[in-house]
Amino acid sequence: MSQTKVENRQPADVLNWILDRAMIILIILLAIVVAILRPAFIRIPSIVNLLCLTAARLPMALGVAGCIVLAGTDLSGGRVAGLTGFISAILLQSAGTATRFLQGGQPLPVPLVILIAMVVGGTIGVVNGFCMGKFKLHPFIVTLATQLITYGVYLTVSNSKQVSSLDPSYSTNFVIKPLFEFTVGGIRTVVPMYVLLAIILTAIMWVVWNKTAFGKNMFAVGSNEEAARVSGVNVLFTIVVTFIIAGALYGYTGFIEAARIGTSGPSLGLSYENDAISAVVIGGVSFVGGTGKISGVILGVFMMQLIIASMTFLGISGSITYIIKGGVILIACILDMRKYRTKK
Amino acid sequence: MKKVLALLLVAIMALSVVGGALAEGSAVVSWYTFGDVYLTSVRNALGEAFAARGVKVTDKDANGVQQTQLDDISTAIVSGTDALVINLVDSGAIGTATTLLEKGKEQDKPVVFFNRAVSTDNADAEAMFASYEKSAFVGTDFEEAGKMQGDLIGAYVLENFDALDLNGDGVISYVMFKGDEANQEAIARTKYGVENADAILTAAGKPALKFYDEANASKYLVDLNGTWSNAASFDYMQTILSQYNEPNGNMVELIIANNDDMAMGAINALMQAGYNTGEEGVKVIPVFGVDAVDDAKELINQGKMTGTVKQDAVGMAEAVAVITDNLIQGKDKFEGLAENVRVIDGWFVQIPYAVYTGE
Repeated sequence: MSQTKVENRQPADVLNWILDRAMIILIILLAIVVAILRPAFIRIPSIVNLLCLTAARLPMALGVAGCIVLAGTDLSGGRVAGLTGFISAILLQSAGTATRFLQGGQPLPVPLVILIAMVVGGTIGVVNGFCMGKFKLHPFIVTLATQLITYGVYLTVSNSKQVSSLDPSYSTNFVIKPLFEFTVGGIRTVVPMYVLLAIILTAIMWVVWNKTAFGKNMFAVGSNEEAARVSGVNVLFTIVVTFIIAGALYGYTGFIEAARIGTSGPSLGLSYENDAISAVVIGGVSFVGGTGKISGVILGVFMMQLIIASMTFLGISGSITYIIKGGVILIACILDMRKYRTKK
Repeated sequence: MKKVLALLLVAIMALSVVGGALAEGSAVVSWYTFGDVYLTSVRNALGEAFAARGVKVTDKDANGVQQTQLDDISTAIVSGTDALVINLVDSGAIGTATTLLEKGKEQDKPVVFFNRAVSTDNADAEAMFASYEKSAFVGTDFEEAGKMQGDLIGAYVLENFDALDLNGDGVISYVMFKGDEANQEAIARTKYGVENADAILTAAGKPALKFYDEANASKYLVDLNGTWSNAASFDYMQTILSQYNEPNGNMVELIIANNDDMAMGAINALMQAGYNTGEEGVKVIPVFGVDAVDDAKELINQGKMTGTVKQDAVGMAEAVAVITDNLIQGKDKFEGLAENVRVIDGWFVQIPYAVYTGE
């Protein structure tokens, strides 16, 4: 048995090399197929579009990725974004709008509103992290509960009202303000501000994950909580901070989304966390805990958006898109678990 | 494992072929949700109407998420489609509608909204559509269905008053199922479904309808998920029947729902309690819906449901296809619309409702 293994080492290694990268290989193949069938897919406007879609979804994915590294998860993200989107929208609604939510008020300074959105998100993160770390509750159930509570608070405060007429200082002059603008093949292409903001946030998160003691502790707690505790890591602190960062990123997502969509309404944030979790898993952040990279998260979000965009280019109906999305998530998890089996 | 990879590749390619060509004359239709019965009937009719005009259509499901719709539209534009057809997720959200319209306008793509209102205020909507020639809205007078349903209920109750008054207290008690707290049509239907019925009853000297639960000041039960679903009305109805029934002398005597799906949920609960089975001698609690979907029509013909207001799915699909095709071809956008369709102020194409009480 062992002899045949030795003999077959080389082809087996090649196979393993391929399997370890099967996800990305499949995605590249998909991109090639789509590009051949629909050349517009690899033209600049389409690539910029993919970039924008990725940038919009990246912050939430970066947040939830930390929770998954802790061998947990976070289901509250979408509704937190819904709440902070609403808060951002009412604080930055144009003055003099006839149906202004906060009658007679003036829009606040944009940086202050970003801060408020992130603090609100972070506060919900404290609850999530504390309940998980202190009471040893599974984060699935904790965050399911806070998801419901957050949505209930949103509905109560907003009375389910839609908030439109956002101030230009928020939308057209900030979040969706063109950073670059060019015309390719008759299509005007714009790279908006939120792409730059997403890049900055990603860089910050990379530093947090890779260059800080907190980042190292987060991975330590995720791979083996007991071992981390024994070696002197403050487990509760690490868990709470991870969830605070996640909450702040959801808060930021809400701020961006309300401006990007142009309205805050009850559907804002619905199921965003599912998309984020799927993308993170595709990007190789394992539910086993303790593994994952920022580059993986970026790639996961990008691949998810690439798959969805491909469906539109190929003219595939929405019903089929679900089957493909689900299939991709399943394959990603199977490939992920394979790595652990091999290690054992 | 290589075989698996090869198989996956083949599968991807096969799907690509199934996808077909986004050739000349293509439209991307972004739907609020694939999970809605009425919208599905529009979707099927729209597919046929576009096919008849040689327009290749791709249906996208926003699944109730505005972000998904926005992103699908962005991708549709760069994919080179000729027209954008939008069933707005956040009904009444003028800010979102404007964002989407601007995206199409920037690239000179026609933008046709349909079914779900772009604003709670017609003046705002008119201003938005006036800003871009290649745009229109195909919908209904959002108050018409509720008014028609109320008139239908009023006439029916008046005619059968004594038979309906199960406990003989001289008042008809009712339940109202609302589809979505914030939706304009849901609000109008909830209001006029009762108001118009009351107007007919009081004019004839009968007492107005009475909501079954006096403690509930809102006088409706709403689908908390905002999905107008039969699951919500079924659950509510089951709970109601456990407290309000004939032995207690307080049975609900009339059921009004914002749409057929919710009406059918209520009927299911009634049937489990031994009502509305359609059999000889079994009591029927009148249930009214809106939409006239096929399943509801069948229930009406079986005597399990009483009436509905037909929202003309085929008529709406036809109008959307005609306008979109006209815009793609650069023709006058309202050329060739059916005769019963009203065009108001150059942007609002109204598809009329009709009462349905069986064949």
